[in-house]
Amino acid sequence: MKKYLITLLSFISLSANAANAADLTVYTYDSFVSEWGPGPQLEKAFEAQCQCDLEFIVAEDGVSILNRLRIEQDRTKADIILGIDDALIEIARREQLVQPHGMELSQITSDLQWQDHDFVPFDYGYFAFIYNSEKITTPVSSLKELVDSKATVIYQDPRTSTPGQGLMLWVKAVYGDQSTEAWQQLSSHTLTVTKGWWEAYSLFLQGDADYVLSYNTSPAYHVVAEKKSQYKAALFSEGHVAQIEVAAITRSSKQPERAREFLTFLVSAEAQAIIPTSNWMLPVVDDVVLPPVFDQLISPQRIGFSPIEIADQRAGWIREWRSAASR
Amino acid sequence: MSLKTAGWLSLAFILLITTVSFQGLIGFRNEGPDWALLQDDYFQQILQFSLKQALLSALLSVAFAWPVARALYYLPDLSGRRLFLGLCLLCFVMPTLIVITGLVALLGHSGFLSPLISLFTSKPWNLYGLSGILLAHVFLNMPFAVRVIYLQLQAIPDSSWKLATQLKLSPSQRLGIIEWPGIRGVMLMLSGFIFVLCFNSFAIVLALGGGPQSTTLEVAIYQALKYDFNIPEALTLAWTQLVIAGSLFLMVSRLGSPGWLSPDTASHSSTPTAQGKSRFVLQAIYGIAWLLMLLPILALLPGLLQGGLHGGLQNFNPADLLSPTMVTLALGLIAACGGMLLAYLLLQPVRAAAIRNQPRRRLLLEWLATHNLVAPAMVVSVGLFVFLLPNIDLDRWGILFVALLNTAMVVPFAIQKLKPRLLQFDQQYNALCRSLKLNGLARWRIEWPFLRPALASSFALVLVLAMGDVAIFSIFGNPQWNTLPWLIYGYAGSYRIAEASLASILLLILCGLILWGVEKLQGADDKPNKIRRKKTDTETPHA
Repeated sequence: MKKYLITLLSFISLSANAANAADLTVYTYDSFVSEWGPGPQLEKAFEAQCQCDLEFIVAEDGVSILNRLRIEQDRTKADIILGIDDALIEIARREQLVQPHGMELSQITSDLQWQDHDFVPFDYGYFAFIYNSEKITTPVSSLKELVDSKATVIYQDPRTSTPGQGLMLWVKAVYGDQSTEAWQQLSSHTLTVTKGWWEAYSLFLQGDADYVLSYNTSPAYHVVAEKKSQYKAALFSEGHVAQIEVAAITRSSKQPERAREFLTFLVSAEAQAIIPTSNWMLPVVDDVVLPPVFDQLISPQRIGFSPIEIADQRAGWIREWRSAASR
Repeated sequence: MSLKTAGWLSLAFILLITTVSFQGLIGFRNEGPDWALLQDDYFQQILQFSLKQALLSALLSVAFAWPVARALYYLPDLSGRRLFLGLCLLCFVMPTLIVITGLVALLGHSGFLSPLISLFTSKPWNLYGLSGILLAHVFLNMPFAVRVIYLQLQAIPDSSWKLATQLKLSPSQRLGIIEWPGIRGVMLMLSGFIFVLCFNSFAIVLALGGGPQSTTLEVAIYQALKYDFNIPEALTLAWTQLVIAGSLFLMVSRLGSPGWLSPDTASHSSTPTAQGKSRFVLQAIYGIAWLLMLLPILALLPGLLQGGLHGGLQNFNPADLLSPTMVTLALGLIAACGGMLLAYLLLQPVRAAAIRNQPRRRLLLEWLATHNLVAPAMVVSVGLFVFLLPNIDLDRWGILFVALLNTAMVVPFAIQKLKPRLLQFDQQYNALCRSLKLNGLARWRIEWPFLRPALASSFALVLVLAMGDVAIFSIFGNPQWNTLPWLIYGYAGSYRIAEASLASILLLILCGLILWGVEKLQGADDKPNKIRRKKTDTETPHA
């Protein structure tokens, strides 16, 4: 008993002065700061530029970053959240978790038509199904063809994983009111629904499934990092849903100036040259010199919903998916 | 502070943890449960699945355990029986991630036995889903059931067998008149206990469920909190789970608790020994049980060898395992010491109620003391997390809460083990102690030798249980304080089977050593069989 009291007391006294040592604290998802992700390089470059100490704090994924901020509210340590995607930005805004960035953003590529005052995009890609062209010679050419086929598919849980959420939006955009039937049809030849992207992709690479949900940029990784060209993204005639990854300054940041400096750095030519070949997504500014394979990636037509539509309907769509897929 | 006060304080303490965590959730936005969910397809689906998998797991575990326990009982000269019983115990407390890794290596998409199984099934074999969950649950709980049923069989009085011989009862008559009535009660209770454990199963369902069609309430709570931060939904699920598991557990407690380690001292000179054909059958069953229990463990080895040969372990530095091993041991020791102390103190009011012959009060106190067995672990951890996060730097101090919550989680197991021994002590010595006016230290001096074997074995059990935790670590842990199970989870999640196997084997060896050390300390477990072996028995077999 006494032991607990002492531990508890020491907590309270210690936590009071456990103020964080870093000059700028960024919440992000774990693969962003893994040794092969963009985090370490960005940290080094930015610290050299600002002569300050940058600290990444890791959550499992974009959704977790948001949830953590929701719990901590004004007591958060984060000055910046980095790595939620465009589907979540309206939800974060409505809970007043972020503040306007006050930046110009004229350098952002016109493809994105970016107008948001709170969030700054730092990379993007299109969701796509990846296949092994040595195994599949004539890939499916539309989402409907995939759903109606018997090909084995691995995708991610829309509740945990942003690609999974992307597929949910994709199905909704293509099928509308018929989504329930489409999910049931798809689940009849789904091998497994994984928690995160990495689990799904590893399983696919072991050769267990015909298609895995990932990004149109994934083949670039295999070419550049592994010199393998058999992995390809299937181009779907209905169009693809895009994922734009964004960062923002938290409402309660005590370092808004420095935070803005970091966001500016994030869309600078220097940072944008690091991101494509470490996070394997497309840069958000034009004129970045990329390995030639990036020119061969599919560039689909963009379909989907606005962040506001997603914020209004996400919960209902998730319920629809889980009822249909759990049967 | 007297023991009695300390007992009540401990009860207040563990109830406080649960209350604070529920309050953390309810008070976050002042949201209550979302009862509309009860009408939802999805809810009914997961409730059905939770019940179905728990029921099947319990029935299969007990059904498979019975023949194995009979083999142990009717074949006194089995070789390796002590090792077998040790293995049974190890299986029951084995960290779930070892089981998962082993099963994936054995029966996963590229498992060793998968092609073999596909020959017998019409569809391609798929581990993920109900089949995987059942396999893992039966692997963990069947050995436990073997031990309990075996001990119960040993409790059949010698005089019954003598009588059976005199009356020339046929094998089926013996089964119906002596054996079945002897174990019926324990079978029922055992099924209930395993049902509750499987009903609350988390890591196995999360890892082997393979999607939304096989989700249990506990996993759904995790998803509601972790993915959607949907507190009303999590609360509805949590209350549902608490009510179902809680009432079932209450019924099980009324039947008594399984004494799976209680040393048996009765003699067994008239117990029949199986002969002829049934002897062969029982021997075969024993052999198969060995094989089935060892397979998932042995399956870890080829993954390791392959990794070593094909370079899967190339980028792997064995020193990476050192710190997680130390953290795992330290956390386990803290939780086990705290859990044992709490359990001992929590039992004080229970003992008092037993002495004063107040069965209802005793049952209530017992239920409260062991409520963490049925309270959804996810709600407790996440609720506490929500409550603490705004006030305490959990990136720094989270690990202490991993220890604290693990302490609370192992308390029910420590209580289950200590309770029978303490109550027995009171029955035998309480009156004496009182008439001699022995209190405090003097009384403890008498209690200690009586309690020591039970203390040692339950300490080992809760230590191993705490060392296997992933659920709590997934909420409070951070990479700086990585534990072995969490490391395995990470490796297995990214299909790095070689690394996962290596870490699993290390953890398994640690757990095995702990249990083996304690069995060694206890020593005298198997004496009754030695007595039996001296006697040449000519009884006819039983099967």
